[in-house]
Amino acid sequence: MYGYEIIQELASFLSGDEIIVSSNGNISRQVYHYLPRPQIYLRGSMGLPVAVGLGVALARPEKQILSIVGDGNLLMGLGSLSTTSFVRPLNLKILIIDNNSYATTGNQMTTSGSLDYPSLLDGFGIPGIVPILLDDSVEQVAEKIHIWLNSSGLCVLPALVDAKSPALANIPLHPEEIAALQRK
Amino acid sequence: MINSSEFLDSLEEKGFSFATGVPCSYFSRLINEFERFESISYIPATREDEAIGIASGVAFGGARALVIMQNSGFATIGDALTSLAQLYKLPMLLIISWRGLEPDRDFPEHSLMGEVTEKALMAYRVPYWELKTEDWQETIESAFTKMNETSQPVVLLVKQGVF
Repeated sequence: MYGYEIIQELASFLSGDEIIVSSNGNISRQVYHYLPRPQIYLRGSMGLPVAVGLGVALARPEKQILSIVGDGNLLMGLGSLSTTSFVRPLNLKILIIDNNSYATTGNQMTTSGSLDYPSLLDGFGIPGIVPILLDDSVEQVAEKIHIWLNSSGLCVLPALVDAKSPALANIPLHPEEIAALQRK
Repeated sequence: MINSSEFLDSLEEKGFSFATGVPCSYFSRLINEFERFESISYIPATREDEAIGIASGVAFGGARALVIMQNSGFATIGDALTSLAQLYKLPMLLIISWRGLEPDRDFPEHSLMGEVTEKALMAYRVPYWELKTEDWQETIESAFTKMNETSQPVVLLVKQGVF
């Protein structure tokens, strides 16, 4: 499965009441185009989507927060897994879409191929779902997303995917509007 | 010296409910005070840019966070400021130790950053004030007013011995 298909698949599981923090680049564009609006679409600050998700989760304890990161972004801010594990917000879930590449900048490789997500998450003390694998069926992907979203408390779903990104228009909102829409 | 408890009381009154950051020895009393001060929740960050990310999330959620760091840490938050906190207009109060001045003459790792701290703040267009024992309340008032008027991060620079 491709990363954008996971994000498309997510649409049917959302209540519309969640707040999504999406990572700079392709993931923010895909979240903007395929999922309910408005969300917190990050445009820069590589490495910080988990930290931003943690902050939103603390400030909005009544909301379910979903932070969606790619492998390059996760690796740049890996320490945030430790911070998040320590704080352990009950209302934060993290989706890692790992295509083993910096897809937004032209599919240069990342080092994520050497990661073993269950061991990684276990080491950080963070509950995780069995990763979505490259050859998982649509039904298996749906099942894992369902288990992830219905888990209680902090939970991470890693998804190993193929790298292909549809050409999507830029997000038309100015970042100031993105922030303002969260205050309404 | 500023009384840490009074200082945090003042920030709580201004609506700050979260704090995060990376320690400096200049702030050891202040950070210890968070353990007794329940109305501002302190989250230890692994890096200063992560702390800006957490404070940005807090601001996206409509609450306010202060961020504590050394000026060495300021050297690592350029992108977190320019492409997140400043770009999205997310207000936050940064409390930054001003290392590398005379009391730090035996700590050469701080020397250059100490010299360029004000220039770096100006280059990033971050409004800043030096926090001093004698008029800290007025300084907080000025910084807080600017933070709210501009909806942007503002900085308090802190020399040795203030906390």
